[in-house]
Amino acid sequence: MSDFDAIDSLLDAVGPQAELPPCHVRRELRERARLSKAQVARALGVSPSTLSGWESGRDPTGEIRTKYAYLLDGLNAKLATETETETETETETETETETETETETETAPAAEQPVTSGTAATVTPLSSPDLGQDEDGDDVELLVAPEPCVLCGHPAGQRVAGFAQHLTPADCRPTATGAPAAPPAGQPTAHTSKAPLRTTRPARATERSKGPARHTFQETSGPVDLIREAVQGALAEHRGDVDAATAALVKRAIPDAMRLLDETRKGARYDVIAHPWIPDILKKQTARGADQIWEARPKWTRHELPPGRHQVTALDINGAYLSALKTHLPLGQLEHSTGLAHDRRRSGVHLITPPEWEHEAVLPNPIGQRDEPGPLWVTEPTLRLLLRLSGPKHQLCEPPQIHESYTSGATENLLEKFRIALKEARDTAIEQGDRVTLEYVKAMYSKFVSTMGESNYNRELYRPDWMHLIRSQAFANLWLKALKAHDAGLAVVRAMGTDELHVIGDWRRVFAEGRAVTEVKVKDTYTAGTDDAEHEGEGE
Amino acid sequence: MPEKNIDFGRFGARGIKGSDAVARKLDELAGGIATPVTAKRGWMARLHYLTKSTQTLKAAQDAGLTVTHRTLKAWLEGKRRPSKTSLERIDQAYRTVRRHNVARHLLRRLNRDGRGTRVEIHPLNQSQVPQQLQRVVEYRTMNVRRWDRIVGSWAAGDHQGLDAAWQDTIVDLGSQWGQYEYVTNVGFAA
Repeated sequence: MSDFDAIDSLLDAVGPQAELPPCHVRRELRERARLSKAQVARALGVSPSTLSGWESGRDPTGEIRTKYAYLLDGLNAKLATETETETETETETETETETETETETETAPAAEQPVTSGTAATVTPLSSPDLGQDEDGDDVELLVAPEPCVLCGHPAGQRVAGFAQHLTPADCRPTATGAPAAPPAGQPTAHTSKAPLRTTRPARATERSKGPARHTFQETSGPVDLIREAVQGALAEHRGDVDAATAALVKRAIPDAMRLLDETRKGARYDVIAHPWIPDILKKQTARGADQIWEARPKWTRHELPPGRHQVTALDINGAYLSALKTHLPLGQLEHSTGLAHDRRRSGVHLITPPEWEHEAVLPNPIGQRDEPGPLWVTEPTLRLLLRLSGPKHQLCEPPQIHESYTSGATENLLEKFRIALKEARDTAIEQGDRVTLEYVKAMYSKFVSTMGESNYNRELYRPDWMHLIRSQAFANLWLKALKAHDAGLAVVRAMGTDELHVIGDWRRVFAEGRAVTEVKVKDTYTAGTDDAEHEGEGE
Repeated sequence: MPEKNIDFGRFGARGIKGSDAVARKLDELAGGIATPVTAKRGWMARLHYLTKSTQTLKAAQDAGLTVTHRTLKAWLEGKRRPSKTSLERIDQAYRTVRRHNVARHLLRRLNRDGRGTRVEIHPLNQSQVPQQLQRVVEYRTMNVRRWDRIVGSWAAGDHQGLDAAWQDTIVDLGSQWGQYEYVTNVGFAA
């Protein structure tokens, strides 16, 4: 029995296929209805690319074909009726204006004509049922007293959906001066004073009512816009006073950076966990003291210069902390482990015994100027740098010994959007010579990094581990730049802080000069002597 | 309530009561004198705080600092040094008065005109629990809009009241709220 049922249903299914219009008509119908491919595809349960295939030569089959045919049929019918009503209303208003110019009938006052008679005093509009039925969605009311049209400002005789406006674009002429037209003399003032205030809102409302297609490809305000808006707002508030605006922006840089961070984490995979449990090693011992993490800040000057007098160039790395925002940040709470090998997917702080450094004469120690020997707590970037240097490619030192770790699953992308937004704002600001934005961006990233730990200036984020990691990343980046210079045959003279690198030789073939974050700029040049190891700084 | 833990830590889970974590965080936010009470600088600062006005002195007396004016004067002038029990009392009184004074401001910042504060709840530590008994307990966040009871009972030093208030709050986490009765940390900013 069941076999025959199945056969019967199959036989039923085989029949004449639904008729579809030709491809270009399909597309035209959809576009005229202001529907996006994505919308239609979602309704049909196919992908947008399938739909584009149907609109450019291919044909759907089976059940989906019936659905598609139904949709196109419906669109066709709907568009046909709409065009009819449009033409109807147009002709109707035309006739009305014609009759109106001949004889002044009170049913439809002319759009342009000011009414100065006593009837204008009645504010309540008379609704006309005959016009209201013609339009299928909006209720059109006829006004006895013309109100300024929300689109052009000229007096209009009709009100649609509560807003006075002209029905035909021919009547609706935007004023060249931009100011709303002066109301007719006889009109009540209480009524007209309200009208200009409302001009902006209805304009948006009509835009919104144009159809759902507008939403699909609507431009969302991105994080870069947030920065631009803040700058523009501050400039407007201080009436273009650059210094005052900069000061105001720098003052609110921390909350703004947090807002920007929230904005860039919208729809992201990982939450920013702001208040995890923090191990004791990351807590400050006293209010003004430091915790136990060693950030490996370089502070190195070459002991002996190569013989001869040299021109030393002090290079400055642009936006060192901004670039350092790209680092492996632990996501959640740090978990303790002992005696495990390094896990590339995790990040945190590690207690290591650093390897011996034998290249002190030409390159700084990657763990910085540490005076006391023995194990120390370093962060992920320092450890990764040491592991890399001990690897087969460089072989500059032994691998470090890891004793203990506090780690968590890590990602490099946590602050990536945040960094790119700031970087883009910075690049455009440099391009346009916009000092305000430049200062603002700089304050945002530097203060964000320095207050993300235990700071009273930023209580939204309590991640001392991130603060250490980002700083160490900046130091590691500087160290790698020193290595790059060394490998290219330059003599590295000094590596200091986050962004200072002094080299001897033709550095322009190693580093690009400029103001972008990938480039370096010259801070200073001076000559260093031969006779003694100390170099006499002329420009220092 | 059926979701409450009866014998917490029996299988090796570690954590503290959620309300304790909240109290700890509120204490942290309230701030105060960092120097320990055992140092002269520490108890002196506390005494100065407690004797700043007649109202604070009254509050300190209510909070258990029941010493005569003569003694207070001698302490403040450095002629005498408080005994060990007195130091404890001074510390206790200081904490009570400080909490009471700060509570008003803290409450306003936490309520944020009804917008509330986002609270992160970090689940208990299961690393010592046998593998087959471990459960997936996720990190959760919630927005707490009404802090009045929480801050009120914290300021009054009412542990049970704070516990009850916090429990009523985390019930909003859904049917699994019992898993968050004990936590490693509760984080929020004010």
